[in-house]
Amino acid sequence: MYTEEEINLITLSATAELTHKNCVTLLDGLATAQPDFEIHKNYLIKTLSDGVYNKVKGNFYSQSYRSAILKKLADRGITCVTYFSKDYPENLKNTPCPPLTLFCKGNVGLLKRKSLSIVGSRRTLPNILKESKAVSAELCKKFTIVTGTADGADAAVINGALGSGNIICVLAYGFDSYYPSVNENLIKSVEKNGLLITEYTPQVKPQKFNFPARNRIIAGLSEGTLVVSAGKRSGATITARYALEYGKRVFAFPYSLGVASGEGCNSLIRDGATLVTDAGDILEDFGIEREESKAPALTAEELETLTVIKEMGDAFLSTVATKLGKMPFQLIPVITSLEMKGLIARLGGNRYAAL
Amino acid sequence: MLSKITSFALNGLEGVPVEVETDVNKGMVSYDLVGLPDAAVKESKERVRSAIKNSAAYFPVNKITINLAPANVKKEGSHYDLPLAISILKAGDQLVAETDGIVFLGELALDGSLRPVAGILPILISAKAKGFTQFIVPAGNANEASYIEGTRVFALNSLRDTIDLLTGEKVFAPVEPRSFSAARNKKRSNYDMALVRGQKIAKRALEIAVAGGHNLLLAGPPGTGKTLLARCIPTIMPDMTFEEALEVTKIHSVAGVLSEEGIVSERPFRTPHHTATTVSLCGGGNTKIHPGEISMAHKGVLFLDELPEYTRHALESLRQPLEDRVITVTRAGGAITFPADFMLCASMNPCPCGNYGSAYLTCTCTPAQVHKYRSKISGPLLDRIDLQVEVDGIKYEDLASTEAEESSAAVKLRVEKARAIQRERYAEDTILVNANMSERHIKKYCRLSAECEEILRNAFETLHLSARARARIIKVARTIADLDFSADIKPEHILEAASYRSYDSNSL
Repeated sequence: MYTEEEINLITLSATAELTHKNCVTLLDGLATAQPDFEIHKNYLIKTLSDGVYNKVKGNFYSQSYRSAILKKLADRGITCVTYFSKDYPENLKNTPCPPLTLFCKGNVGLLKRKSLSIVGSRRTLPNILKESKAVSAELCKKFTIVTGTADGADAAVINGALGSGNIICVLAYGFDSYYPSVNENLIKSVEKNGLLITEYTPQVKPQKFNFPARNRIIAGLSEGTLVVSAGKRSGATITARYALEYGKRVFAFPYSLGVASGEGCNSLIRDGATLVTDAGDILEDFGIEREESKAPALTAEELETLTVIKEMGDAFLSTVATKLGKMPFQLIPVITSLEMKGLIARLGGNRYAAL
Repeated sequence: MLSKITSFALNGLEGVPVEVETDVNKGMVSYDLVGLPDAAVKESKERVRSAIKNSAAYFPVNKITINLAPANVKKEGSHYDLPLAISILKAGDQLVAETDGIVFLGELALDGSLRPVAGILPILISAKAKGFTQFIVPAGNANEASYIEGTRVFALNSLRDTIDLLTGEKVFAPVEPRSFSAARNKKRSNYDMALVRGQKIAKRALEIAVAGGHNLLLAGPPGTGKTLLARCIPTIMPDMTFEEALEVTKIHSVAGVLSEEGIVSERPFRTPHHTATTVSLCGGGNTKIHPGEISMAHKGVLFLDELPEYTRHALESLRQPLEDRVITVTRAGGAITFPADFMLCASMNPCPCGNYGSAYLTCTCTPAQVHKYRSKISGPLLDRIDLQVEVDGIKYEDLASTEAEESSAAVKLRVEKARAIQRERYAEDTILVNANMSERHIKKYCRLSAECEEILRNAFETLHLSARARARIIKVARTIADLDFSADIKPEHILEAASYRSYDSNSL
């Protein structure tokens, strides 16, 4: 089912001893699918060592080693899409540093759809999390949503798009791990409904330095990138910088001053990212007509409360109640109802903010 | 000559009659005590010898054998001193008096005076049930003994007085029986809801929790008044009835922590530190099984400050008593059941750094860290805590405001009204409060309208509540409706109840 060329790439990618750079050099910068171990011997011995070089080379040409790898991957339900496959996403091929092999679990067909990445920080405000989920839920009707697997913004984005199945999560580690462990079930449901991809062979553990490299795939795969939140030195800004570098569109939510989880977004906007406040802005940018969504019906009491919360930005429930001339407990049902309608979010400590 | 004197042993909260038999014979001089005495009882031999000598009597120089019957029950505690002394005096013919039907209890000092002992109340109650009506106890236990009607209790100061009473040389008046009134006995509490500034939501939750007997979790940044709020809970709980007070006093008496008044008239508020062991919480011990903190908090509040810091083992051990409202402590020597009908109030920080939800300080935790911290509290335990409320990150205006806050007395009035409604509703059932409702009761008393069902279903989806929260929400909604004097559960009651389940939501 794989061509000999593809098997070459899969074998190289599955060899944990070789880095991406090693492989690319071996393949003469991806000009050929036939690695030349002899020409690059000196280079490889310098970066690896004599023993490792011989082992890697021996394995590569060993037929049993190659079929063992393929069998292992097939047994675990992992499909491989290599740089030389016809299924390899065009977008990714056009980036300067495309992954050799995408190890995939799930619906591989999603790679062919137009996609949009939504990324953000782990430390994202609860109301932005809720908004991200809503935006993801709306955009997944038109795009495949691409994101990571972190807690916080990534998890909210996954939750938004999971129902439609149009969700790709790019992992920074192999399929043996689930990271972070709290998201294990979420990652498994993406595997079931959407698609998980990674350039790392299953036994690669989550390591700090792989995450920025993973971000180039997120940015490269999609037509554009929406940054919902990003601190000063956030992985989300790295993704956005890649997207800008690759000439993709970059969108960002604006933040008010003094919000740490929004500093990265604001500086992206200053550097030319498009300021967006909802899914409509992004669809408009792509020239896609927005489906009219029905605004939830509100009672007079709810509307009044929502207006006060919007005026205040974020507010303690008791302060809102005082403004409305009510006892705080009388306002709890109204607030809960607004929360259920997805118009406000609980910030913790009895504070609420509108979306 | 042989003498028999009646005393009592304590097995948990149950008194068991013990015969003190003494035989004074001619023979080699000896002084033996048999019948499974523990260390304290063995040592009483020496106390008794000195006490007799110093009470203008003499200690027989003969072969003395004392047996505590039944011989297979372990005898613990120091209250056998008095019966031992009387028994020796009687057997030695120094005391000629009728002692049948009198129960003797008390510890002797070397000078012959009587010292108060633990466990008088449960012994008196058990003894009365077994037909004993006359008691001689130390004067220090007079208050405790005065609440049992239909008994003649003499509270005496010394062994000499006891001898004089028995021989009729002096006349002593029995302890004046007292009637119980919680209101009269109550000390002025140092805490009052009026002292807590702001925190309107948490106060409301406190009111609901007490009205329906629900357990409560207060979550909030450090220094926002969680402990102060918890301290206010006993001030809004209904006064204890005499039966409740007796039950609580029994436990406190066995533990030997009874105060001067002799009866516990205020609801207990127990705050074991988070280093508490499972045994200290649940009860236990080597030979004598002691009640644990959860039994000491019977009919009152068990406050666990910084809940995640308790050992998992200790917390999990609370699950069964929270459900059954009693705890059976089983040891090789036997099993003892202590009542443990307490309200659990726990407090915790919302996240490892403590600032989650604070309007003024930034929380530096990632959602995964917050999740990990909160998951230290197991699902089954969280399941038994009906109300999970967040406390406002304190605001300066709240501290500085001069607005009058509602007093505990006003809240208590509403709580009592809601309790009255519940008493009426559950007149034919075995339960007392909404929190104790079983699935059957919920079906019977909490019928939901179609609108409420719809809201509840919606709440589960949109607020990411775990499925097992359903019954809890309905119970709390029932209490909110009771506080509202509403016969039916209305949508707003369901909505409010759903807002108190923030800590078992599945969302990250």
